Amino acid sequence: MSAAIREWLRRLWATFHKAPEDAEMEEELRLHFDMIADELKRRGLSFEDAARQARLQAGGIAQVMEQRRDQRGLRRLEDLIQDLRYGVRTLRRAPVFTAVTIATLTLAIGANTAAFSLVDALLFRDLPVRDPSSLVQFTWRYPSDPPLNMFSLENYAQYRDRNTMFSDMVGLAPLRTDSSAGSEPIGAWVVTGNFFHALGVKPALGRVLDVSDDTLGGAPMAVVSWRYWQAQFNGEERALGAIVEITDRRLPGPVHATVVGVAEPDFSGVTASMRSDVWVSLGAIPTAMRSRGGVALMARLKPGASIAQARAEMRVLYQSSIDALAQRDPQWRHVAIDVTSARAGLSTPLTDQFGGPLSLLMAIVGVLLLLACANIGGLLLARGAARQHEMAVRVSLGAGRLRIVRQVLTELLLLASISGALGLVGARFGAAILTQIMISGTQSLGPSPRLEITVDARVLTFTIGVTLLAALVFGLAPAIAAFVSAPASALRQGGGAQTKSRRVFGNGLVVAQVAISLALLSVSQLYIGHLRHLRDRSLGFDRDRVLLMSVDTSRAQNREQLAALYRDAVARLHAIPGVDSVAASGMTPMSGAAGSAFLRVEGFDEPADDRQRVSLNTVSPNYFLTYGTPLLAGRDFRDSDMDQPRRIIVNQALARKYFSGRDPIGRHVWLENERDPYEIVGVAGDAKYQDVRLPPPPIVYQFALMSRGSSDLSLRTSGRRAGVADDARRLVNDVFGTTSVGRVTTLAEQVDASIVPERLLATLAGFFGAVGALLAAIGLFGLLAYTVARQTKEIGIRLALGATRGRVSLMVATSAGWVVSVGFLLGAPTAFWSTRFAARSVENLPAGGAVPIASAAAALIAVAFIAVYVPMRSATRVEPVIALRAE
Amino acid sequence: MLQGTLDIMVLQTLAALGPSHGYAMAARIEQVSGGRVQLNMGTLYPGLMRLEQRGFVRGTWGVTENNRKARFYVLTPAGKKQLAAEKREWSRMVTTMQAILNEPS
Repeated sequence: MSAAIREWLRRLWATFHKAPEDAEMEEELRLHFDMIADELKRRGLSFEDAARQARLQAGGIAQVMEQRRDQRGLRRLEDLIQDLRYGVRTLRRAPVFTAVTIATLTLAIGANTAAFSLVDALLFRDLPVRDPSSLVQFTWRYPSDPPLNMFSLENYAQYRDRNTMFSDMVGLAPLRTDSSAGSEPIGAWVVTGNFFHALGVKPALGRVLDVSDDTLGGAPMAVVSWRYWQAQFNGEERALGAIVEITDRRLPGPVHATVVGVAEPDFSGVTASMRSDVWVSLGAIPTAMRSRGGVALMARLKPGASIAQARAEMRVLYQSSIDALAQRDPQWRHVAIDVTSARAGLSTPLTDQFGGPLSLLMAIVGVLLLLACANIGGLLLARGAARQHEMAVRVSLGAGRLRIVRQVLTELLLLASISGALGLVGARFGAAILTQIMISGTQSLGPSPRLEITVDARVLTFTIGVTLLAALVFGLAPAIAAFVSAPASALRQGGGAQTKSRRVFGNGLVVAQVAISLALLSVSQLYIGHLRHLRDRSLGFDRDRVLLMSVDTSRAQNREQLAALYRDAVARLHAIPGVDSVAASGMTPMSGAAGSAFLRVEGFDEPADDRQRVSLNTVSPNYFLTYGTPLLAGRDFRDSDMDQPRRIIVNQALARKYFSGRDPIGRHVWLENERDPYEIVGVAGDAKYQDVRLPPPPIVYQFALMSRGSSDLSLRTSGRRAGVADDARRLVNDVFGTTSVGRVTTLAEQVDASIVPERLLATLAGFFGAVGALLAAIGLFGLLAYTVARQTKEIGIRLALGATRGRVSLMVATSAGWVVSVGFLLGAPTAFWSTRFAARSVENLPAGGAVPIASAAAALIAVAFIAVYVPMRSATRVEPVIALRAE
Repeated sequence: MLQGTLDIMVLQTLAALGPSHGYAMAARIEQVSGGRVQLNMGTLYPGLMRLEQRGFVRGTWGVTENNRKARFYVLTPAGKKQLAAEKREWSRMVTTMQAILNEPS
């Protein structure tokens, strides 16, 4: 250990232990001093002269003590500790200020960090592979369906061999693995052999897959992820040669793949939103699966090739597939293949659904950060003004001015680091909740989605930096004022008047807060209104109190048996107290299932290229009653229709389109590929089918008491008795066989699960809007309370001169009114623009006009009244005599 | 006084005198230097403290011949080594300087 380090350690230790003690050091010096004096006296000097001479010769004891203390410990550290102690004490003396500041900063830091981390992980972070910027993916989009990256293996081989733009093209497909008891399902992918080489991913152990592994029917080989290797094999080499068993419902039996390697630690698949544990070679997939299943395509552009060129070439290559498909369905003419960048990984339903909402969320939390900065600024400014007196006292008592600036800085750093730490915790928590909400709606989308969210250190640093900067700008002002101004004048003023520039600036900050929070609240009102519209008003059925149950009906051998079982079940279900009506249907709204066919109606001609399918469902009697969908004309199905199966009910949208106003009852229509016509016996009101965001499509309801194989039962219940679901499940299991009931849910839950992005946005926008309004209210409150405190003397004089207390409260209210009004004036155009922008970013969202802005303004005014009330009351309670004597 | 010479003076004095207190060291240095080096307390004591923190000297409380409590410093083994090293360095530098200065101008 070098001597310098030893010195530093001893000094560090001494900083906290103060050894040697001051008294010891002083005694040593005094001895030295006395010995000099004795020596001088021996030479004949008088006592006083000797003392003076000794001081000249040796230096003053007090000064030397100071020098020794500097050498004893680490001076800067000692000062810092002292500053921190003082800072903590000061902050504890102003608990409300401290709490509000920390809460504001924590919220801003936490929300921003959570949102940015999530968006970055999902949408922006480059894949950890070689040259991610040259990676592209392919999608096509059937009209009004989401984009799909799904191609047959034949297409894959064709594009791979014929293209001129790509250096590599890989295919991959997730396997639908079931979770075995108690364990998470593994994320397994089938990949083409060139997968790892094309991406440039190296093995950490063993080897990666190779093109030779693609041999048809060859033994399946697997590469596992680093994480899986650690979890399942403890990172041991025995993993090589081990067998991984993968079951997929679509495969005849489990696949047993031999592990040949472990991927490098950084690589965890090509999409952030689906877990990737095992990659299996294509050879693992039996022929049956090969012909049916498709693969997602990913490719690497050759150097110099652009995405636009690649797109043009792929459109040519894809054309033959389109031609073939359009023979049967002209809608395919509208489908084109698209090539987009895949540098951040493959798009998934999760990224498609949440891309827009998350970007908006980012904008919202960014605005919140701005608001928080304004709030902190106002708070610190008011506090600084209140502390001017203290600063002046300290300066005149001889505190170094730089030392005072440093003291204020320490306080701000203290606030920022407490908030930063809390914000980090909050961000983790927030990101976890966001992830949970996002995943909750996508349970049925194949491999279990999993988002790997790590709180991003850069973002955390950035947000702390921004808030700290704001704190510095506003917080240092009083310290600098103390530095520049003569302390005497500040002391003389005795905390009387405030400077004009500061007042204008303080008002300006609150105006800005009102304006920003008006915009924020308007946007949140817009989203909340939209959500309410989606989930309640426009459904066409009554979502509340409907229980849904999927039933396995395979016990019935034929239609007659099924009908008998159905009648039995309905009768018994009706006997449960609280069940109002029961119906069966082939599918339930927003369940993810759908059916469609072309419809031919005599007298209705449409160009072959524009032909569109109508949606299908099979329903039992009482379906419309159960769902609360009105029958507008004709009649409902009845049991006797069993013998007259070619009768249908259509909805209003279908009647409007195919019969344009004429009465459809009794008319005949034909479904695609069927020879015999159907007769329309009823017209039902429009109801949403599989997407609440889209207008109700034309629907044909065919008659069926229940569908063979599986069917859905819907029960309308009255009241909220908890046991109904259990009773119903037991009864249905009695009728159809012990394990026949699958998923039990409610219609409301099913609708909600289909609009998770909208719910997420509305919830978060609502939360942040409320927080914004709260911040603005705190700002307003702070400003008024501060103004009233400063004007106590003025108010006292006014009261003494005969002003009524009513006039005084009016005075406070007026100044608040001005600030809020100017804020509204500036905020209205901002809010208008923000709602337009916010509406554009979400599909099928009307801008909403003035309604959201008006309701936001109303909410803000209500909050402002509360904020004004307390300072107003304290103004009216001023006692003139006391206020005037205080000077 | 030259930067860095305090350490070598103090260490050398302690080596010559054996255990001694601050005043004795200052007096000795003044005497040996013919009055040319007068150490005031502000130089001597922080310096002693640094030497102690670096582990070259160790101070213990004792009693002077006049029966006053005083802090006596002794050289540690590390201090002896340090003194030897600094002496070597010092004479090397003196030789170098002399060689440069003796060059005929």
